[in-house]
Amino acid sequence: MLAGAPWARAGIGLRSRHVSELLTRRPAVPWLEVHPENFMSGGTACASLEAVRRDYPVSLHGVGLSLGTADELDRRHLDRLRSLVDRTQPCLVSEHLSWSTTGGAYLNHLLPLPYTEESLAVVAEHVVQAQEALGRRMLIENPSSYLRFRHSSMGEAEFLAALSRRTGCGILCDVNNLHVSACNVGLDADAYLEMLPAPAVGEIHLAGHAVNDADGRTILIDDHGSRVALAVWVLYRKALARFGPVPTLVEWDTDLPELDVLLGEAHTADGILAEAVGRTEHARAA
Amino acid sequence: MPALHEIQELFKESLLGGASSALLDLVEADGLDPEACLAVYRHHVFTTLTAALEAAFPVVCRLVDPRFFAYAADAFVRQHPPAGPCLDEYGGAFADFLAAFEASTHLSWLPDVARLEWAIHRATNAPAAEPLDPVRLARVAAADMARLRFVPIPGLAYLASPWPVDAIWRAHQEPVRMLPDLAAGSVCLEVTRSAEGIRVRSLDLLSFTFRRTLAEGHTLGEAAEGASHLDLMDLIRHFLEANIFGSFTVATAEGA
Repeated sequence: MLAGAPWARAGIGLRSRHVSELLTRRPAVPWLEVHPENFMSGGTACASLEAVRRDYPVSLHGVGLSLGTADELDRRHLDRLRSLVDRTQPCLVSEHLSWSTTGGAYLNHLLPLPYTEESLAVVAEHVVQAQEALGRRMLIENPSSYLRFRHSSMGEAEFLAALSRRTGCGILCDVNNLHVSACNVGLDADAYLEMLPAPAVGEIHLAGHAVNDADGRTILIDDHGSRVALAVWVLYRKALARFGPVPTLVEWDTDLPELDVLLGEAHTADGILAEAVGRTEHARAA
Repeated sequence: MPALHEIQELFKESLLGGASSALLDLVEADGLDPEACLAVYRHHVFTTLTAALEAAFPVVCRLVDPRFFAYAADAFVRQHPPAGPCLDEYGGAFADFLAAFEASTHLSWLPDVARLEWAIHRATNAPAAEPLDPVRLARVAAADMARLRFVPIPGLAYLASPWPVDAIWRAHQEPVRMLPDLAAGSVCLEVTRSAEGIRVRSLDLLSFTFRRTLAEGHTLGEAAEGASHLDLMDLIRHFLEANIFGSFTVATAEGA
């Protein structure tokens, strides 16, 4: 799938504040992930991305394609994404199981879908269009949920599995999102992992979340603003046991720490991944 | 069962306005108040879009204080949500919005400061371009000179204001809270991006009109109308030094 890349290792999400330090120090991080929306206008950001790409494999993790919109896909955005994919030659391209655009307004969030046959048909059509335009397979990520729709006719994992079957897309399993959704809307995280088709899972995300109180009930907010929580590390081990060693990425977006803190989180993930690689090799040998 | 499009429109109304009961009725009771759940999404939309506006308009934010800026940004987002996902392109309507925003009408210079910041922001995010090689221009036949049409480098912008907005902008690069002499009067500004960074030049009215006319796609002959020969030589020399155009074409007689 990715010749010559440091596969089944843990990378970090690269944000603009860390770019110059990364380019100066060139730390030994196996791969990086960026949001393509930050590199579409041209300008100095694009030159930095080119410099980064010369030394590191880069994954493009989109947040703006709005695959779940009931409207048409934004062709201009898809064209710009294709152009960036052509220029960057990313190791992975991913997007979200969510929507952001309706009636010409882009609501800057990964908004929830009802999991119905209608939604499945909409998302599948858009994933097929996007994969054709980009000329490659995409990974689709499970979102963090703060609500569920009553009229959903299937669970999220079932929806993702059906989407993967129908379009050939891979799955990006965000373990922090899964933990957040499990706490907020009562998903069974273990059953969710069992339901996902293991061979389709091509990447795992890890991040921190905030614990808030809403009228006496705990609500977890996926703010990517702290270290990975213990419960998420536990779930990560379970995910690796289920999916095998999968390239993993640590994201951090708010209250950005020093680069070394983020690299330290990736190092921790790398250690857990190495155990999983060892288990897989042991199982193969047996 | 409502169609997906209907749900998404209800969601938009509930995020940008108040929570619609038709949407809340669709939400599963998972032990959390549906309005509180919607508020999580709304909070994210407004904080991230406000942050995008703060990044594009840092001086406006310092001039009015962050709380007032957040108040104005909230009203702006509701009226003008982004059209696309590249947030460094969001905010082009903010200056006009501020001009009509009742709470800041007493700050009559504020919309022009926002216009200058938007020009700077756009220039910062414009792709790099090679400036015009004067040698190429020297090869143009004298008879074709009047029909030259110049292509601006990306990010080039012109702004005329009755207020000294460049001085206001410079005085607020750091969070100091002192307005320069507003009686200093009007300015004609040119914003460009070069390899060295963003440059804000104050031009005399003649240069400003000449260069802006060229940047709008008019021919050299059209832009030079009314200028003396000597003035014109000066204008051309200065705009070549300013590196504001990337290339040129010779307009055909029909298109000229």
